[in-house]
Parts: sequence; C-alpha cells; structure tokens
Amino acid sequence: MDLRAGDSWGMLACLCTVLWHVPAVPALNRTGDPGPGPSIQKTYDLTRYLEHQLRSLAGTYLNYLGPPFNEPDFNPPRLGAETLPRATVNLEVWRSLNDKLRLTQNYEAYSHLLCYLRGLNRQAATAELRRSLAHFCTSLQGLLGSIAGVMAALGYPLPQPLPGTEPTWAPGPAHSDFLQKMDDFWLLKELQTWLWRSAKDFNRLKKKIQPPAAAVTLHLEAHGF
Amino acid sequence: MMSIYLFWRQPSQMVDKKRMKTSDFRWLLSKFVLLYLMVQVTGALRDLKCTTNNLKVWDCSWKAGFESVIDEVCIEDRSYSCHQVEKTNIKIPALPPGDHVMTVKSSHSPANSLSKFILNEKNVSFIPDTPEILSFSADFPTSTLSLEWNDKGSAFPYHVNVTWEIKILRTERRELIKLETYNTNLNGKDRVHQWSWASDLPLECATHYVSIRCYIDYLHFSGHKEWSDWSQMKKIPWSPNSQTKVFPQDKVVLVGSDIIFCCISQSKVLVAQIGSTLCPLIHLDEKNVAIKIRNISVSENSGTNVIFTTDDNVYGTVIFAGYPPDIPQKLNCETHDLKEIVCTWNPGRPTGLVGPRNTNYTLFESFSRKYVTFKRAETFINESYQLFFQILPDQEIYNFTLHAQNPLGKSESAQLVNIMERVSPHTPTSLKVKDINSTAVILSWHLPGNFAQINLLCQIEINKANSKQELQNATIKGAKNADYLIDVNKLNPYTKYTFRIRCSAETFWKWSKWSNAKQHLTKEAIPSKGPDIWREWSSDGRNLVIYWKPLSINDANGKILSYNVSCSSHEETQFLSEVLDPQHKAELPLSKRDCIISVVAKNSAGSSPPSKIPTIEIPNDDLKVEEVVGIGKKILLSWHHNPNMTCDYVIKWCNSSRSEHCLMDWKKVSSNSTETIIESDQFRSGIRYHFFLYGCRNQGYQLLRSIIGYIEELAPIVAPNFTVEDTSSDSILVKWEDIPVEELRGFLRGYLFYFQKGEKDTSKMRGLEPGRSDIKIKNITDISQKTLRIADLQGKTSYRLVLQAYTDGGVGPKKSMFVVTKENSVGLIIAILIPVAVAVIVGVVTSILCYRKREWIKETFYPDIPNPENCKALQFQKSVCEGSNALKTLEMNPCTPNNVEVLETRAAPKIEDTEIISPVAERPEEGSNTEPENHVVVSYCPPIIEEEIPNPVVDEAGGTSQVIYIDVQSMYQPQAKPEEEQDIDPVVGPGYKPQMRLPINSTLEETAAEDDIDKTAGYRPQANVNTWNLVSPDSPRSTDSNSEVVSFGSPCSINSRQFLIPPKDEDSPKSNGAGWSFTNFFQNKPND
Repeated sequence: MDLRAGDSWGMLACLCTVLWHVPAVPALNRTGDPGPGPSIQKTYDLTRYLEHQLRSLAGTYLNYLGPPFNEPDFNPPRLGAETLPRATVNLEVWRSLNDKLRLTQNYEAYSHLLCYLRGLNRQAATAELRRSLAHFCTSLQGLLGSIAGVMAALGYPLPQPLPGTEPTWAPGPAHSDFLQKMDDFWLLKELQTWLWRSAKDFNRLKKKIQPPAAAVTLHLEAHGF
Repeated sequence: MMSIYLFWRQPSQMVDKKRMKTSDFRWLLSKFVLLYLMVQVTGALRDLKCTTNNLKVWDCSWKAGFESVIDEVCIEDRSYSCHQVEKTNIKIPALPPGDHVMTVKSSHSPANSLSKFILNEKNVSFIPDTPEILSFSADFPTSTLSLEWNDKGSAFPYHVNVTWEIKILRTERRELIKLETYNTNLNGKDRVHQWSWASDLPLECATHYVSIRCYIDYLHFSGHKEWSDWSQMKKIPWSPNSQTKVFPQDKVVLVGSDIIFCCISQSKVLVAQIGSTLCPLIHLDEKNVAIKIRNISVSENSGTNVIFTTDDNVYGTVIFAGYPPDIPQKLNCETHDLKEIVCTWNPGRPTGLVGPRNTNYTLFESFSRKYVTFKRAETFINESYQLFFQILPDQEIYNFTLHAQNPLGKSESAQLVNIMERVSPHTPTSLKVKDINSTAVILSWHLPGNFAQINLLCQIEINKANSKQELQNATIKGAKNADYLIDVNKLNPYTKYTFRIRCSAETFWKWSKWSNAKQHLTKEAIPSKGPDIWREWSSDGRNLVIYWKPLSINDANGKILSYNVSCSSHEETQFLSEVLDPQHKAELPLSKRDCIISVVAKNSAGSSPPSKIPTIEIPNDDLKVEEVVGIGKKILLSWHHNPNMTCDYVIKWCNSSRSEHCLMDWKKVSSNSTETIIESDQFRSGIRYHFFLYGCRNQGYQLLRSIIGYIEELAPIVAPNFTVEDTSSDSILVKWEDIPVEELRGFLRGYLFYFQKGEKDTSKMRGLEPGRSDIKIKNITDISQKTLRIADLQGKTSYRLVLQAYTDGGVGPKKSMFVVTKENSVGLIIAILIPVAVAVIVGVVTSILCYRKREWIKETFYPDIPNPENCKALQFQKSVCEGSNALKTLEMNPCTPNNVEVLETRAAPKIEDTEIISPVAERPEEGSNTEPENHVVVSYCPPIIEEEIPNPVVDEAGGTSQVIYIDVQSMYQPQAKPEEEQDIDPVVGPGYKPQMRLPINSTLEETAAEDDIDKTAGYRPQANVNTWNLVSPDSPRSTDSNSEVVSFGSPCSINSRQFLIPPKDEDSPKSNGAGWSFTNFFQNKPND
C-alpha cells in the first residue's frame, strides 16, 4: 500500500498531463476527428493511475478505521453497503456486454462511488485524510469526465440519473459507527474492483478500436505497484 | 368436665427483627418453635396462630381435630365477647397488650370439648402485605433499570420505618445479580417510590427481572415482625432490534473504565475481539455472548472497534474511550481594537475524542447573558483556541465563563475583565518618516481600532548605526481607525536612522508587536567646526604644506565636498586654494612667511567655521633629544607649564627612520595642559618614533622638545658585527660596529660578550648555557665602548668569541667567531731546556758514580771467568758424565761448546694438529696424555692439570663442581657446519649435552663423538683444544701452542673447558679484544 513519495509526484505529474490533455481530446471538443483511440488510451492510463493512488489512500484510510479493518486478512461478508454498485460480475455476463453497456455501467458506477467518496470526505476526522480524499475525488472526477469523453466520441449518450436514485450520504442514528466503517471498507474495496474492471474494459476497447498510428499515447509505467 | 389448659408460652425471646430479615431459614425455624409451643387440646384443637398485616386486625387460625366443629369462640377482654364461627380461623380486632383468654367451644366434638388459649400481642406475627410493583422500565442507552411501587402508607396512620429489599435477576436462569436494600418510612399516606440502577451489562443483552418485598419496623408492636412475601417478578419488555446485534453501540466511556459488550446472535459466535486483541467469551442466554473489557485505553480518532465473528457474519460496534474536558487553562480575554474581545485558552489534557464527540466550548458573558460557541470537529496540534466576543456599547466590565463540555463531562473557567484595561493594539502599519529639518522628523503610522475613548501610549525605537538604541515614549489621543503623527527631535544631521513603533493603551496591558522598521537619512547641516589643521614647511623652506584631518561624521553634518584654504594677514585675506574632499593636504608656495592659514570645510548646507594656524616657526636652540618608552601601547608625554604658551600645544610624531619632515599625525592640547597621552593605531612595537612638542605663542609655533621613543621595546633582530683587531699569545682585541636603529628595535642597553675555549667543530655542538665554568661572560654596559681586550688567554689555543646586544626588550641574536691565540715561544724553550739539562745532570752524576765504583761493578756484574778449555782435568767419560754429573762437574769435555744455538725441534705444531683433529673434549682418555705444559692454569684455585683426572666419566657422574677460569677469548671460535649440528641434534640422547655444539671437523670425530654419546648420555665436560687455540691471530699464544694459557673470566667446569656462562654470540668479537684479563688488556692496548 505504500507509495513512495517520488512515485506519487510522478503520478501526479502524469495526472496533470492527462488532465491538461483532456480538453484536447477530440471527442470532447469535437473540433477534429482523430478517432476515440487516444481518449480511450488516456482513460485507460488514468484508470491505472487511480489504482495506484487508491492503494495509498486505502492504506491511510484503513489505518484510520483501526484494527481489524487494516489487517490484511480481514474480509467481512458484504452484508451492509447494499447501495454500493457491485463491480463483481460473471465472466460470461461481462463478455456478453457490448461497449455501450460496458461504458454506461462504468460511468454509473463511478458516479455513485464519487458521491459516496465525497460523503466519506465529510466524515473524516483528520485534515490529512480529508486532503487525501479530496485529491482522490478530483482524480475520480477526471476519470468520469474521461469516460464521458470516450462515450461521446463513440456516439453513446450519457446515462441520465434516475430521479430519486441519486445516492445520498445520510449519517443518522440508524447508521451506527461500525456499519459506517463497514461501508467505508466496502466502498474502498469496490472502488478497487471497479478500477480493475475498468482497466480491463478500456484495454479491451482499446484493442477493439485501433488508434491511428500518429496518435500520441501517454504510457504510465505501472510496474512494481 | 375435663379441661386441659394450653397456654401460650412466652417465647424465650422475641425473634430479632434483623435476624428475620437476614435469614428466611431462621424465620421458619422460629415459626416452627412458635407453633410447637402453641397450646392445644390433644386430639381436638391445636396450632393456634395469630397474624396481622395492618396491626388493627388479628387473624387467628388453628387446626381442629377430626370432625370437630367449633361453635363459639369467646375472648375475655375488658368485655367478654363471643363469636359464632364455622371455620378454623377468626378475625378479631387487635387486643390491647396483656394476656387474654380465648375459649373455643366445640359442640360437635365427641367430647364436647372446651379449649382455652391465652392470647397476647407478643405472640402475634406482623407480616406486611406483599408490595405491588407499579412499573419496571429500562433506559437502554444508559442501561438503567427503573422501578416504581406504592408503599401503601395510608394503611398505617403513624410514622413507621420501612425497609424494602429489591432483587434484580438476569437471564432465563434467573441469576441474582443485585440485591438492594432501600429504607423509607410511612407517614399515613400512599406514596410511590422510585429506584433505579445502572447495569454493567447492556440491557439488550439479556432479560432482566425484578422483585421486591418489605419489612415494617413498628416499634410499638411487641409481637413478631416479619418480611412480606416477594412480589411477583417483572421483566423488561425487550424485543431486540433485528439490525443491531452488538451492544452498546457508539458509546463514549471514560478511559480506564470496565465495559461489557454483548452480541445477540442466532448463530454461534466464534471469536470476539477489541481492536486486534481477542477476548474470552461470556455466555449469556441461548447463543448470546458477552465480553468484558477492563481498564480500556484511549481510542484512536475513529474509535475502538469491537468485533464478534460468527460463522457467516461479522458484527461489531465502536467504542470511544476518552477523557472529560480538562479545565480550560490560561483563559485570557483582551481586545486588539476595542471592537471585539478575543478570549484564548489552553484546552489542557487532550480528551482523545474527535469529531462529533470533540469538546464544545461556550463563552458566556453573565452581565449581558450573551454567549458564543466554539465547535471544531478536528483537533489540531498546537491549535489556538480562541473565541471572539463583540464589545457591547456602554459595557466595560465583562464576566466571562468558558464552559467546556463533551459526552464524558464538563468543566469551566471564568475571568472578570475590565476591557479598557485589556487593550493590546494591533501592530502599527504604514510607518512613514518625513523631514522637518536636519535634526527633526515626523513619524506617521496607521493603527486599526476604535480607540476614541482612550489614550494610546506609543514607543518609538530610534536606532543609529554604531550607537545605542534609543526609546522614546509618547502619549497620543486615540481615534477610530486613524493615522497617528508624532515628531521626533534631537536627531543628528545627515545620519541614517531606523525607526519602528509599537503601541499600547495608556493603562498599560501589553505592547503591540513592533511595526516594520523604517530607515531614514536626516538632512544635512553645516559642519559644526573646522578641521584640525597643521602645517609644515617644506624642506627647502619655500612651500608650506597644510594638513588637516577629515571631520568626524558628527562634526561634518553632511557630505564634505571641499575645503577652502586661505591666508590672512593684517592687511588682507588671500584665498589660496579649494581642495576637493578626499584630499586632506595642500602644498602652497607662500610669498609671505607671516600669515594665518585658515581652512574651511564645505558641504551642501554651507561652510564650517574656519580653522586657523600661524605659519611662523619660532626657533629654539636649547633642544636635546630625550627618550621615552610607552606603557601599554600608549606614550605619556609631560612637560612643565609654560606661561608663554598662550595658544595651545601641538605634539606631532613620525617614524624616526623617515626623513626629518615626515609627519604621521599630530595632536593638539590646550595651553593649560602639562601632559598628554598619545596613542595611535599606527604605532608598532619595536619601531622608533620621533615626537616633537610645539608650543604656540605670539602667533607662531616653537619646538619645545624633541623626543624619541618606542611604544614597546623589542630585542634586537641582528647581532653586532665584530672583528678581531689584534691577537697575541694571551689576549685578543675585539672591535664591533653599531646596530642600525631599525634593527635595534629598542634603546641599546649594552652588549654581552662570551668567550670559551673551543674548536670550530665541537663548539657548534655546544650552546652557551649560563653557569658553565668554561664560559666567561663580560657584560658591557657602556654602549659607547666599541672595543674589548680579552686577556689571560692561553697561547696557541682556539677560542670561541660570541657577542650579542641587548635592549630592555630582550637580548638579540648571537654572533660568534673562532680565534686562535699566538704561540708562546718562551714557554716552549723552557719546556725543551729543562729536560735536556736534567738528562745531562743525571748522565754526569751516573758517570761519576760509575767511575768511582768501577771496581765493585766489575766484581759484581762482570767477574773473571776461567776458560774451561784450558782445563784438561775436565775431560770425563761420557757414561760417567751421565751417571753422576754431580760428582764430575769439573770434568767437562773439551766438546762443550761456547756457544749453543738451539733449533726449535719440538713437535708443537704436531701436537696442535692432533688436538684439532681429536679434540680433547671429546676424548677425555686422550686428554690425560696431553702435555701438562700446555695448560698452566693461573687461578685462584689450586691449579688442576688434566693429567690428574683419572676418570672423567666418574667425575661427570659425581658432578664435580670445581671451577677453573680460562681465557675468555678461547671460548669463541667459528662453528663449522651449523646445519649439520642441527641435524645431529636429534640423534643425541636425552640430557644436557652442550659439548655436542662443539665443532666436529671430520667424520672420524663424528664417529668418536657418537661413541661417546653412547657411552655417556649425560653431561660430559670436556675441552676442545681448538677452542683454546683459535684465538685472535694477534694473540701471541695463537702462534705458540706451548705458551701458557692464562685463564680468567668466565667460570668453567673442572672437566670441561666450556664456559658455564657463555656470553651471547654477538658479543663474541668484542670479547676477543676486551676480555677481562691482564693479558687481554695488554694485548688490546695496541689496538687502541
């Protein structure tokens, strides 16, 4: 879970580069037509970067939750946190999804997860944790924008949030601190699984839609994390 | 009619109330005794028992015999009353104290019996009614049980003490966990009582039951008082929430307390843990379990997790262990601007609780009854805790109370302040400086705040370079958010100042912080005085050189631009020159020798007053050069007061090695002074300076004194050059030169002259340490002396001469020279003539004596000897001559030679060879045959000749300890073939065999040696002849084997020529030449 400081800065620099290039994604500004390939690549890279960022964040946050949440073999059943979007899916089902459905599910999942994360940020008791969470939320917001860009480039409409289904963070007497911690634990876990799944989705999409030879790709060295 | 009277018997003692209360068993036992003692009719009526529950009515009952029917019960009271009854009990009004006879008539009994009982209050039991629980409720968050019941006091119209006993039971097993006694009293009215109890186990964890009974202690009742029956049990109506499984939830507890957690579970709980620590399970009803945590420690920010793990799920809760808020420390309320009050405090010990459980602070002002609250979810390290309270118009006194509260408790701290006395203004800003003139400025600054009601006290810090900082205080009328002005006077012109300011209220509480510093350069003013001037005539007397010193910063009052030099006489003033600033002298041709030179310094503000000096120099013939030495880098000059000197005195000085018109510096002293101290950074030790004291009179300067001196004297750095002018056989004349002033470095005080005998080479090795007897010293204190004659020397002897100069600063280096005195011819002649004369006299005397005693000498030394040839009688037979030569001495044959030439025919070399080949040491048998003449031993012990040793082997065995000394030289010899020796060594048998080390030169010898080894395995003393003969070739004995071997030195065994104390090998060559023997001594002498 530990990410070296130098790597963090490197990742941050890459993220800034990615975000800097987001307005240049043709699918977003629709001024040119180099195809969706570069934006898919960038989204893929951003997903990988978020994976690494999440490892650092999860380490900090699980330590904040205290034992046994920060113990490596702690694996409670997922009984609470029903409202969290599940990333786990049967392989056959996953294969049977088309690109549009796949991207839509990604978009919807991250929309929900982002909302939960912001609630997490409001609950965090230490400033350092809030900064880390805010930073990650910004990154996740970037990923959401990136997915939206890919969908737009491919001509898919963005999913409309159903009225009343917008997840809200409602800490109340019904939600005990322990259940809250369980939710937080599962939120982080689901985020991780979703990022794995997204990386796989975008990789598949990337291979499917071959980018033009002149497309600028931004490759993140992700080994060793 | 036969009647049997059964009497109530008084119990031996009344059953003690306390005993009853404490033990049901005892109560039953006493009751049994009571029943036993009851009077009864055998076979008819028995076991009469009377009880009461309200002290008003007695309920008496008895047991009847078979088919007995009671018709009438009569009681003898004040009035005899009878009651018809059909049961075996009767309720009668309470009887007064005393015995009463109760008659029970049973008409249907076979005997138609009449039973009599004695009734007494003492035999009546008082058993109160069973209490009734009105309500039994639970407060789950606090785990508190509450019980309500009615005491039914209206039944007792008098004051009675009541004891209630409440018991709490837990779980379905009805385990008693609490038995509480609760005392009240009855006062004739019905009252509802409440009792509550906090359970350590959360009430959700198990079913809780309660029951109550009472005991009424009515003192006026003399009968038996008993506990009521237990009330009916009540239990907590609790239906567990389906979601929550672990209790308590999200509880805040004090650090160090004990707490029980339970888990309501349908499936079996496997593990329970707090944090990462496993806890033992306490089993409750069904599958519910609990854990008990003792002495809980402070929680992390997110609380401490308690987890129960079942087969299929994980249940948990979070506990927050912390502290109640500490008393706020160092509460301080003050204002910076008289608009709002800021109160700061230190929270003290951390509570360990954050987020919604963090401490809430409320600042309450009691006069205005207003308050402000402080709420922060997060606690930062070194966070400043402060609250702002708006100042209220027309209120100066504020009584603040700071309340701190968190879920574990509350605390408070208070302060009463007069806010007008607690003003600590903000830091002044926008500090500006404006010139008024060269010595005054105006400072302005801005101070936010509503200070209209008070006066401000401001402090100005004035910093000047190289000067002590100055603080000025000023009181200013306060205003609202205003700029304030103040003027600062008494500044120096053209000086860089740094100002900064801080303020407080006039009723001082605290200074504000210092404002930013502001630098300012004041304006220039005209120089306050003229420069210090001096003049010198040039060497040719034509030009006058005018010197002046630059003005000090304080006097210049600005940047000096130029100097104007003019010459004024009686008639006119002549402008001579304008010299720009960096130059501080002017050389001017002066047509008139008598004028007053004036110099004026100018800056942008104007000209200084002129400095004047006359040009005339009054001669002084009565001058002599004096000497002075400084004290501690200073020179003290003093002079006699001279009333003629009307202006001033001037001391100028220069380095004396420079030219006469040099000028380093000068100093002016007032005319009434008689001394001055001169010091200068330019002064150096060991340098001669020339000081000139001038006096000023009649518009001219006269040189009064001329002084040379040193700040500090040092030793000369060179030795005087000296030469030998003349040398005789017993004296030397030395002459030397002066040392230059620069190298002398002090006033010369004398010379030190050393002389000693010594060669050039050896003397270099020796120093001139004082006290050495051979060194003679002469101290020449007359520094004018330049020559020295050294007398009483020896002729033809080398002398070392050393000369060094000294000052008060020390002795200079040495210079040395070697001189050989001339030969003394008279002494030589005498030395030759005296021995010759003595020899001649001795010869003459001897000749005379010999001449006079010639006859005696001849008889003594040279008597006449007859010639045997001329004697025929001496011609004997040869055999006769051999047989008895004593008888026929005179019969010598005419063959007797006059002269016998003896040729060396002895076989000495042969013997030597033999010895070399066959060392005696290894053959003691042969050693006995050795010529005794070869070994004449000179020793302190009787000479022992080897011949006399019959059996050396026996001697070895006997360990003969006689010691002889032989020549040390003979011990050493070159050892041939040391490698072979080493090879041989292992063959040698055990025991010490030093002889094996001896050289063995042939195989034959080896064989012989080995044989000997076989024969004598022990120590075999022996002498190797070689060792004696191989001495130094210089030794006479080495060539003559027959010569006496004189032995000294190291002891050796009688049977051995080996030394018992062999010297080291490396010493051997020396030993050859330096053995401790007379022979060696003589032998060695030529080598020396």
